[in-house]
Amino acid sequence: MEPLKIVVAGPVGAGKSTFIRTLSETEVVDTDALASEEIGKQTTTVAMDYGTLHLGDQLLYLFGTPGQDRFDFMWDVLSEGALGLMMLVRGDKPEDFGAARRLLDYITSRHPVPYVLGVTRQDQPPVWGPEEVAPFFGVPQERVVGLNARDPRSAVGPLVRLLELMVDE
Amino acid sequence: MLIVAIFGSLTHMSLDDLLPFLSSRDGALELFNLKRLPQVTLYFQKGKLNCVYLGSKPVDALQARSVIGELINTRKGSFEFIPGARAKGCPEMLGWPVDRLLISVTTTFDEFAQLSDRLPHPETVFKLTHIAVPDDTRLSDFWKRAHIYLQTGTSAKELASKLGMPLDHTRFYLLKLQQLGAVSAARAHTPKKKQRTSAAARLLGSLKKRFFGEGSAWSH
Repeated sequence: MEPLKIVVAGPVGAGKSTFIRTLSETEVVDTDALASEEIGKQTTTVAMDYGTLHLGDQLLYLFGTPGQDRFDFMWDVLSEGALGLMMLVRGDKPEDFGAARRLLDYITSRHPVPYVLGVTRQDQPPVWGPEEVAPFFGVPQERVVGLNARDPRSAVGPLVRLLELMVDE
Repeated sequence: MLIVAIFGSLTHMSLDDLLPFLSSRDGALELFNLKRLPQVTLYFQKGKLNCVYLGSKPVDALQARSVIGELINTRKGSFEFIPGARAKGCPEMLGWPVDRLLISVTTTFDEFAQLSDRLPHPETVFKLTHIAVPDDTRLSDFWKRAHIYLQTGTSAKELASKLGMPLDHTRFYLLKLQQLGAVSAARAHTPKKKQRTSAAARLLGSLKKRFFGEGSAWSH
């Protein structure tokens, strides 16, 4: 059976690498490098993160995209033929919403890929909830899910929602 | 015979320095040796900017706004003022009061600078969400020219080429229209595929079993 691919995208520091580490059952392959500019953390993903998840006899690849604009060519490379797109944004960092919307708009207008928007850090109030984030992004409420990327049962929520939406299409 | 009354370099005197002075004079300001534009000629009469020529052709209101924005930010080029010169063959008189033009354009481009990291990607496709001309004249000029293309969906890159505008200005206007809810990203159509739906159903069952146990209820 052909492996399927889920793309995890979002601005720098949205929690993409954490999300993949939490869900992956294999050691995550990352391409972190020391940040060359002030981005609020010491290292950042420069090509992709890669993790795997076996669900029954189906192998699922989890690919995390780099968050910085200068790696935007990777957004297309990774989104091509993906089963779904998981866009993550930090709920406690509204200043990143514009960049996240820009990225979501870009990928979904170019690739026919089902998507959900995950709002991270729901365990660390004060934080924007999914209901407040949806109108800003101009996406239907059912496509926005809150999560804590460090907790497996919470992190899996957006993935469950994505698959439910695909089943209900 | 025309007499060149006023001349100089934009390095030492920028367009925003010149505009207040021009608000009380009739004539044409020629700007040349510009880095990113061919020769530009601005025609003034009775305190109003009436016509803008780019090279040998007059431009419409939308392009004129972009040209003025470029000129205000440029510090490389030369200018000469030709007193009494009048525009010939200008398709529409702009009639923009010079004193307000400066505020309008500088406000737009200050905002533009602040939003530069949020401008949509050049290749993101946008579509109209409703047809209503925005009240803001800065946007309505863009709207009038762009809405035909936005009805079927287009990107900033395509629009810039069709409208003869700088790409970044087009991205700025699209962002402003998106903020007003007048356009939104056109999500690529995801064709319903039986194969994908059944794969999703299979994965969903396995996922719930893995993370929530056999028979446990999943609750959002």
